[in-house]
Amino acid sequence: MSLVLNSLSKRFGAIQALDGISFTVEPGQVFGFLGANGAGKTTTMRIVLDILRPDSGTVTWRGRPAHELPRRTWGYLPEERGLYPRMKVLDQLVFFAALYGVPAAEATRRVRDWLARFRIPEYADRRAEELSRGNQQKIQFIAAILHDPDVLLMDEPFVGLDPVNVALLKEAFIELRDLGKTLVLSTHQMEMVEELCESIVIIDRGRIVVSGPVGEVKRASGRRVVRLGVAGDPALAWLADLDGVRVIRSGRDYTELYVEAGRDPGSILRAALARGEEVTRFEIADPSIEQIFIERVGAAPREETTLAAAPGPTPVSEGR
Amino acid sequence: MSPVPVALRNILVVARREYLWRLRSRSFQLATLVLVVVAAGVALSPILLRFVNERIAPVDRLGIYVDEAAPTVDVVTALDRLLNVPDPGAVVAAGGTGVGAGAARRSFIVVAVDDLEAGRADVVAGRLAGVLALERTPDGDLGFVLYSRYLPFDRRTQQIQQAAGTLTIQDRLARVGIPPGNQALLFAPAPFETRPAGPTDARTGSSEQLIGGTVLGFALTILIFMAIVLYGQWVAMSVAEEKSSRVMEIVLAAARPTELMSGKVVGVGALGLTQYVLVVAAALVAIVFQDRIAAALLGGGGSIDLPSGLSIPLLAAFGVFFVLGFGLYATLYAGVASLVSRQEDVNQAIGPLMIVATLGYLIASYASSGVIPIDSPLVVILSLVPFLSPYIMLSRLALGQVAPWEPVLAVVLLILSVGGALWVAGRLYAAGVLLYGQRPGLRSLVRAVRAR
Repeated sequence: MSLVLNSLSKRFGAIQALDGISFTVEPGQVFGFLGANGAGKTTTMRIVLDILRPDSGTVTWRGRPAHELPRRTWGYLPEERGLYPRMKVLDQLVFFAALYGVPAAEATRRVRDWLARFRIPEYADRRAEELSRGNQQKIQFIAAILHDPDVLLMDEPFVGLDPVNVALLKEAFIELRDLGKTLVLSTHQMEMVEELCESIVIIDRGRIVVSGPVGEVKRASGRRVVRLGVAGDPALAWLADLDGVRVIRSGRDYTELYVEAGRDPGSILRAALARGEEVTRFEIADPSIEQIFIERVGAAPREETTLAAAPGPTPVSEGR
Repeated sequence: MSPVPVALRNILVVARREYLWRLRSRSFQLATLVLVVVAAGVALSPILLRFVNERIAPVDRLGIYVDEAAPTVDVVTALDRLLNVPDPGAVVAAGGTGVGAGAARRSFIVVAVDDLEAGRADVVAGRLAGVLALERTPDGDLGFVLYSRYLPFDRRTQQIQQAAGTLTIQDRLARVGIPPGNQALLFAPAPFETRPAGPTDARTGSSEQLIGGTVLGFALTILIFMAIVLYGQWVAMSVAEEKSSRVMEIVLAAARPTELMSGKVVGVGALGLTQYVLVVAAALVAIVFQDRIAAALLGGGGSIDLPSGLSIPLLAAFGVFFVLGFGLYATLYAGVASLVSRQEDVNQAIGPLMIVATLGYLIASYASSGVIPIDSPLVVILSLVPFLSPYIMLSRLALGQVAPWEPVLAVVLLILSVGGALWVAGRLYAAGVLLYGQRPGLRSLVRAVRAR
């Protein structure tokens, strides 16, 4: 009953874009699909959508191979944003919907509803090129959901949106989830992942490095995060001498540290008090997804060349 | 839903967008309007030229000074008839339509002049365009001197000279004793016909039919060539626009590449055909009605015959070759265009295909004009080759020198190639998404086809 990706591999020339990607997305979930740019997120999504064929591996949704399913099963917001620049917003949305078999009248009604929800009803008769980037993005989101798909694949849906629009989009996601839709979203905004996603996968260079429900992923790291604030001594140099403790970040008011699994976080507080420090803040937390990401992928989410711009494919093995 | 209706639906949805989107564009409407006017204008240009000549050009007064030449005919009346060449439709015009008197159509008003010196003074003063003085040469022939403001190579000078020549011959015949009624018989043209030498020659028709076939072959191949060059480019541009605006990935998620490709070719092709039909219709209407237009403008007119040999089977063959030929080229244009990243690069990328298209057209026109014998083995073989058959087979059909199996084979091969082109172009289109930012080249082309 779920979306199952089973050992997907895909090679473009010298680059092994995907190297045995397997994960499962439960229906009705918001699923975080994370990875640095170039890690293989877009390639994976394209394979699910049958825009690309994998060299090996399968994708199934509710037990049926993805490429046998009607296209209206999927809604896709690509990373490469694009609309017909000189076509009116309503016209092109109705066109996209028609490709999925939605009658024009019904599509028009839905477009008007969504434009109103996104507070841009007056843009229906504007040409796409007249819209700001953020508004174009909202139009694209509408294009992805007009045909009422079961599974939504969203590649970086929040990039370039202001906080108000981010909130609008988030609201829409939650509503779609409540309607029973399955959402797979890739994003570099980790706070969104914390807020929206029930499960995540982190991939790095075509391999899965982390996967599971968010809570489990956090616990599985075995680590705790401690935030310690001490009056008059923001540097807390003495922490470096403690075993199983690593400073992540020195802030103005407090310092954030990793405490390894074998060490009791409470011992940090006791150590501080034993030194006679005046503790202004002490907090024990799970590591954030961002911290797990940085630790496992090795660097913060970074902007670099995407696979789309990588060298063209060479015939290593025939796709079909 | 079963897959076939979905594919068909998507093709129609894409075709509809392409058709309506371009149809509504200001530039298309303007271009079509201009083309329609130009086509009608070109078709009517002979009449318009005559109209300008006869109606707007000033009527010249020509003085005739006969003196003692004593010709056998009334010179003023004869010259008036010879210089103002009667129109076949003049009677219709005078009787039917309200065009007014025939006098308005004259190039010359011929008047008698009694005094040569006074006449010449009138020419200098501008009251007469010229004075034609007749005399008898010592051997008894009529001689002419034209005093006028015309330059020696003026068309009117030549007209007068021709009329004078005719007058002289009539005068000579009359002096030999042949009455004017028999003179008409003397000038009647001889019956003349060309026929093929061999009894089994496929050319069955008369020379007129052969000329008609050649003209038809020319016209039909030009129509196909222009459609490929103009509208094929639209398809390519449309694909490049989708790629450069990055909307490609959205539509690729919604429909299969071959559906998108076919829809584009069908939509743009239909639009091209619309423009075509309008333009050709304008020209045809102009040609068909040119008698009446001529009658309205000039009070009469010579009809231009449509090329003979325009038969229903030939028109059907034209339709088939037009659609398949355009489909083949447009599909490949679209495939190649999906490899370029910017619209500016489209022309460069489709260049090689354009050369093939031009080559086919040139061979066809050489063959139908006889520069290359149309029944030479080379032409016969080339007329079966898919990229060339729309032109060459059509030319051969127009000249009626084809065994029945030949066009059938050509069409079958064409259909197979269109299918192959769709497959290749679909893969190129799908792969184009992966090739943003790359220059088109044979390597990336081959890779792209094999990638998916």
